Amino acid sequence: MTGRPVGRGWRPGAALLATALLAAVLLPARSAGAAPSATSRNDAAITLGMALEPPNLDPTKSAAEATEDVVYCNLFEGLTRIAEDGSVVPALARAWTISADGLTYRFQLHSGVRFHDGTPLTALDAKYSLDRARAAGSTNPLHDLLVAVKSVDVDGELDLRIELARPVADLLTYLGWGNLVIMSPLTSARAATAPVGTGPFRFKEWRKGDAIVLDRNDDYWGPRARLRRVTFRIVPDSSTSLAALRAGDVDGFENFPSPENIAALAKDPRFAVVVGSTEGETLLAINNARAPFNDLRVRRALSHAIDRTAIIKGAMYGYGQPIGSHFPPHHPAYIDLTGRYPYDPAVARALLAEAGYPHGFAVTLKLPPPYYARRSGEIIAAELATVGIRVTLQNVEWAQWLDQVFKNRDFDLTVVSHTESLDYDIYARPGYYFGYSNPAYSALLERLSRDRDPLERRQMLGEVQRMLADDAVNVFLFELPKLGVWRADLHGLWREAPVQGMDVTRAWLDAPAAAGMHDRSRSLPALLLAAAGLAAAALGGLALSRHVSPTYIAGRLGSLALTLLLASAVIFVLVEILPGDPAAYMMGLNASPDAVAHLRADYGLDVPPLQQYWAWLAGVVRGDLGLSYTYRVPVAGLVAERLAVSVPLAVYALVLAVLLAFPLGLAAAARAGTRTDATLMGLAQVGLAVPNFWLGILLILLFAVQLHWFAAGGFPGWDAGIGAALGALTLPAIALAVPQGCILARVLRASLGEALREDYVRTARAKGLSGGQALWRHALPNALIPVLTVVGLQFSFLLAGAILVETVFSLPGIGRLIFQATTQRDLIVVRSVVLLLVAAVVVVNFLVELSYAVVDPRLHQRSGA
Amino acid sequence: MSEAAPRRRLDAGLAAAAAAGIIVVLAALVSLTGAFDAGLALNIDARLAAPSAAHWFGTDPLGRDVLAMIAAGARVSLGVSLGAVAIGVGAGVPLGLVAAVLGGVGDEAVARFNDLVFAMPSLLLAVLLAATMGPGPANAVIALGVFNVPVFARLARAGARTLLARDFVLAARVAGKGRLRIALEHLLPNLTGLLIVQATIQLALGIAAEAGLSYVGLGAQPPAPSWGRMLNDAQTLTAIAPWLAWCPGIALSVTVLALSVLGERLRDVFDPRARR
Repeated sequence: MTGRPVGRGWRPGAALLATALLAAVLLPARSAGAAPSATSRNDAAITLGMALEPPNLDPTKSAAEATEDVVYCNLFEGLTRIAEDGSVVPALARAWTISADGLTYRFQLHSGVRFHDGTPLTALDAKYSLDRARAAGSTNPLHDLLVAVKSVDVDGELDLRIELARPVADLLTYLGWGNLVIMSPLTSARAATAPVGTGPFRFKEWRKGDAIVLDRNDDYWGPRARLRRVTFRIVPDSSTSLAALRAGDVDGFENFPSPENIAALAKDPRFAVVVGSTEGETLLAINNARAPFNDLRVRRALSHAIDRTAIIKGAMYGYGQPIGSHFPPHHPAYIDLTGRYPYDPAVARALLAEAGYPHGFAVTLKLPPPYYARRSGEIIAAELATVGIRVTLQNVEWAQWLDQVFKNRDFDLTVVSHTESLDYDIYARPGYYFGYSNPAYSALLERLSRDRDPLERRQMLGEVQRMLADDAVNVFLFELPKLGVWRADLHGLWREAPVQGMDVTRAWLDAPAAAGMHDRSRSLPALLLAAAGLAAAALGGLALSRHVSPTYIAGRLGSLALTLLLASAVIFVLVEILPGDPAAYMMGLNASPDAVAHLRADYGLDVPPLQQYWAWLAGVVRGDLGLSYTYRVPVAGLVAERLAVSVPLAVYALVLAVLLAFPLGLAAAARAGTRTDATLMGLAQVGLAVPNFWLGILLILLFAVQLHWFAAGGFPGWDAGIGAALGALTLPAIALAVPQGCILARVLRASLGEALREDYVRTARAKGLSGGQALWRHALPNALIPVLTVVGLQFSFLLAGAILVETVFSLPGIGRLIFQATTQRDLIVVRSVVLLLVAAVVVVNFLVELSYAVVDPRLHQRSGA
Repeated sequence: MSEAAPRRRLDAGLAAAAAAGIIVVLAALVSLTGAFDAGLALNIDARLAAPSAAHWFGTDPLGRDVLAMIAAGARVSLGVSLGAVAIGVGAGVPLGLVAAVLGGVGDEAVARFNDLVFAMPSLLLAVLLAATMGPGPANAVIALGVFNVPVFARLARAGARTLLARDFVLAARVAGKGRLRIALEHLLPNLTGLLIVQATIQLALGIAAEAGLSYVGLGAQPPAPSWGRMLNDAQTLTAIAPWLAWCPGIALSVTVLALSVLGERLRDVFDPRARR
């Protein structure tokens, strides 16, 4: 470092700007709190948490359960619907008749029904929707169940007729499922991102990674909903769900992903705990087609080796009913087969020996993300080990699970819950991933589908259960519980889940709602802020460049461009080899291979890689980052939404880091060599060793759970008010700032120590300046240069490296976007965002280098060195 | 300069750090012998027990002993981080040396490569890599190791370039030794100190990064315990079993702290010019 004092290194203008930024960030934090909203009892807004974000909002295109959770009955309606007790009741069809031979169904639709865009509903819309679902190449998950439909005809404006080739006993049930809702031909193409239905709620907005907002449809044809607004907030980690609930970030969970906390919540008078059942048969699924599991004795040995009650206790904390076959215990035709294979490791070992495996064998157990699967997996591995089966656990994301297990049947064992109701037909589907095939079973289902006599059907359903248990196709573990937890004053949500969906149409709040939080539309102000920041940086660069020779800048710019090009190639290659098939992920569980191929073609995934690379680069240059595979919206918009969180968070954390570092560093330097110096720097060393995500967990524990000063996680959006938004960013910013601030303090201290030993400081001291004056007026300006460099680097680190803290606090930032996109195999998003971040780092480095050159003009003359 | 007082204090800090480091390493070694295996067995009836004489750090939701898990986790943490440093040294040092000795286009290429990798958001890319290759300790080693390569390449290159101008190198050159021989016989031995310092620091960073990867589920896979995953699992249980959040976090922080103190002390030894 040169010893020359730098007069122009610290500009008053820059100081002013920094102060203004500081003020803008800090001042409104308290003043603009949540405005009190006196909503009447029938006019409240609630926020419900959900674990998985839907890939899109079109339930007729994919089997993603999360999609149906949001839109079923709330936004879209079918001809019929499933009531809470599982029965089929009228919906858009007010009545129907079935011919004696069971082949002709006539539906009369309600009159006066309008779609949310104002167009009236007619039988033509119903015909359009059903024809679309059953068309060849349709990606509707129920496509296969509609093959018996011969025709759908319109007999009058509100009269619909369905002709069948053979009787389908469950047709009315299928029509009540979320995949067969009625859309208008005018709007169905946009349903993935802007759904238009007939339901009591209309689509308001979807903040990717954060929340989906539905507003009441005041023109609803039936009884109006009582809630004014419902926000479905994505709480991706079960670890943050409790904190989110306690902190009031969400008003409830239809299905709370953390059973260990149910007991404590049940004792808490603020919450109602409502435990019901889903249609989810949770299985240790077995690849019946693969040795050694093609041997019935081995499969039965597995059934004997697994202790269901231990799993229900250990993984589910006692919630969940044991099952002995693939059938829900709450169904009238259920028979208890849990005693079919009693837990007995000795019997299991004997069966294995009989099958030729006296010493067991090694297998892999693939576990998808839901907590029940991961936790059950550990217990299952331990239990199988006692009978000699050595289990390797492999955690997989949903995309990989769909690709490896479901699609390619590349697995030995897996744990999964099958949540479709009465889906025992999957055991008769050719090519289904269980690899099970039994002609007798298929014949039984064939008879069942024709028979409409209730008594006979019930008997046959019993037969279905017995046959699956006898064949020990899978180890049947437990019926997945529905652990409803919500504010005690919230009513009308379902206890049971007989169909995939979270019906909020009859929900209401007792008290005048104080929870009218999170009301906002788009987060433009933040985008403007980000743009202003970038513009300021660019202007600063220009101002600096007056002192630097153009050739130097051109050279650096050239190498910058080269680095970016190289980076793009590296990223593309990296991302191209990601295993997993985005099309399969989007299509969901029950998609046909045909449909997946269709989608792949739609998204240009069938083009050679090099062509994809050039198309991508050309798009990036134009500013067009393409369309997200999973969300089906432009990536540029997604990135802008996330930057509106990440940029302010990075700035906030950096400001806090500087506020921490300067007092620390200056105090230590002022007392250089003393005990204070050593203590302060020792503290800084401790501070930088604390991982920021652990600090985040501790901050939540203290400030959100114990003291209720801050929200435990989530982001309300900038439209909720700057105070609320900054409040949500405060704990994450502290968690990020402490280690960075400690690093900065040490850099400042070291740099000051160096400057203090320089001759000019000694001269100043000799001329009679006090130690403090010498420090402030001579040492500090010189010591700032390395500090500013570190600040620049820290900004890019904070922008890109906040992923763990974002995870801890469920913030929809850029790091989470990449993480989610990676696990969803959304290649388009991953590659573009990573490139953007690399560009940000490179540009910041470039600016830092420029500022160096300005400070020390000799540098650019020997730039080749 | 009155350096004496803080120097002694630093040594006290060093002693503490060394003690902590030794405990962690010992724990890892003991867990290798299987002494903790009994504590790692599931025992659902004994789950979520608070710290006691039988279980110093309590038990987890599956009834495993948290102390045993932390010891086994130390093995994973140290193993992954050491592996990542080995990759960094193994690939980075030859790269840096060759670049410095050869100069020209090769040198420029190595410098560009360094810039490129440095420009990548490392933690994010490690997440991406680990997710791509499939989660697991071996892949975590690679994902973290890749980002150690330019660190050591840059260090070796810079160090070698200053050494190249020194008299003993000139003497060797006059004696007719080839470039690579000079690099091996004269440059590398003189860089050892610097490399050890950097390796210690990267080891500390690697342990923190490994914990981060396993926190998001991309590190060691269950049933092998790991500090990051323990912290993730602890998050739903903070109200019921706070020791699950405290114990692994403290183990992690103390280990990172110990290594970074050690690194700085080593720097004082090997690089006296960097002393205050």
